[in-house]
Amino acid sequence: MRRSRRRSDDAQAVLETALVIPILLFLVCNFIAVMVQVTVQEQLNSATALAAQSRFQAPESAIDPVGTRCCGLHAATLITAGLPTGCRYAAETFYGTMTTYVGLLHWTAATLCTSGGDSGDAGNPPRQPVGYTGSPTNADVSCDIGSITAAGVVVRGYVDRALDPPAGLEVVTCTASASLDFSNTPLAWGVFWTPTIHAQAEALPPPFRQ
Amino acid sequence: MGGEFEGVVRLRRTPHARGGQALLEFAVVLPLFLLCLIGALDAGLWAVQTSAEVSAVQQAAMIASSAGSSPVSEKAPDARAVTAAISGRLHSALFGTAIESWCATDANGDCAPDATEQCPVTPAQVEAADGPRVVVICVSEADPPACTKPPPGQTSPWPTGCDDSPMITVRVIGFVASLVPPGFGPGAGGFELPTDISATTHTLRFAP
Repeated sequence: MRRSRRRSDDAQAVLETALVIPILLFLVCNFIAVMVQVTVQEQLNSATALAAQSRFQAPESAIDPVGTRCCGLHAATLITAGLPTGCRYAAETFYGTMTTYVGLLHWTAATLCTSGGDSGDAGNPPRQPVGYTGSPTNADVSCDIGSITAAGVVVRGYVDRALDPPAGLEVVTCTASASLDFSNTPLAWGVFWTPTIHAQAEALPPPFRQ
Repeated sequence: MGGEFEGVVRLRRTPHARGGQALLEFAVVLPLFLLCLIGALDAGLWAVQTSAEVSAVQQAAMIASSAGSSPVSEKAPDARAVTAAISGRLHSALFGTAIESWCATDANGDCAPDATEQCPVTPAQVEAADGPRVVVICVSEADPPACTKPPPGQTSPWPTGCDDSPMITVRVIGFVASLVPPGFGPGAGGFELPTDISATTHTLRFAP
């Protein structure tokens, strides 16, 4: 009777430990995963913001000549010939900044250069931007930009009517999306979710642009 | 009668047995509990530190791309100036970690990484040079190839991209202080975690 009660106590203790330890490790794994997600989100925000600003580092009317391509690292080669040079600058900046945690990310393919987006207001319907002719569609970042073509035709960029309404301001807006995959890390033991992270950044042209 | 005897025995032996069992449970659970607690604390600390690094590096890239040199300069800004501009932001988050510039001064006293002085590639390289729990800020510049006369059949500018503005990269790399015990982390002596955050941007050129 006594022996069986002691055995029962021991079994209960083992059972408690067997229950508590996995739960504890599960919580720690998920806590670390959330921290990683926050960090990757920060870096994506930073890369997208720098990409949007970088578009203005190129002369407004510059067009990439035949044979121009970018960017190395995890991206497939993007052919940017015929596109505004600022578009390539944005891509180079994005890929140059987004260098860590890339093994955890599955990118959502996007059109590198788009144009003609409109945030819209009461008198103007919002408009989705459309891709530039010849723009790569396998990029990890997409920038809605404005420029002047070699023929002098003005191509509208993204019009944000919340800024200086109702005419709005032409800004550059860049977006990037990716899902965070922990399946190839030790965290996969306790992390069963695959969060999607998204970043969007706008930049205004500087007053003394080249 | 037998029931009374049984009661006496139980009073004498059970507290010892239970005390031993509790001690054993405690000895098993305490390291696990501490491991989880320190792991969670370290993850939080690491996220705060990395977040501060990301925003500081972004700010540094903007500073490096627009100031410190003339708009047509072919030289990266002085890494010490960039370090000074962002070290306040980093110091508040990277407690227990030393922040230094990665540069060697030239004959003019300038500190500008160029083709002969590259940024460190791994955090271990920083540790070997500057010791444990040190992060360095490195500013490097990639210049486009010089423009030349285009060969027959090719259009100017030649070669492709020769009229691009230089690209500036700011990198924070090294080991940050943490609670990882010696022998458990990737750092040589423990109490540190590797970090490598960079930001790249084209330099801003103003209209002539």
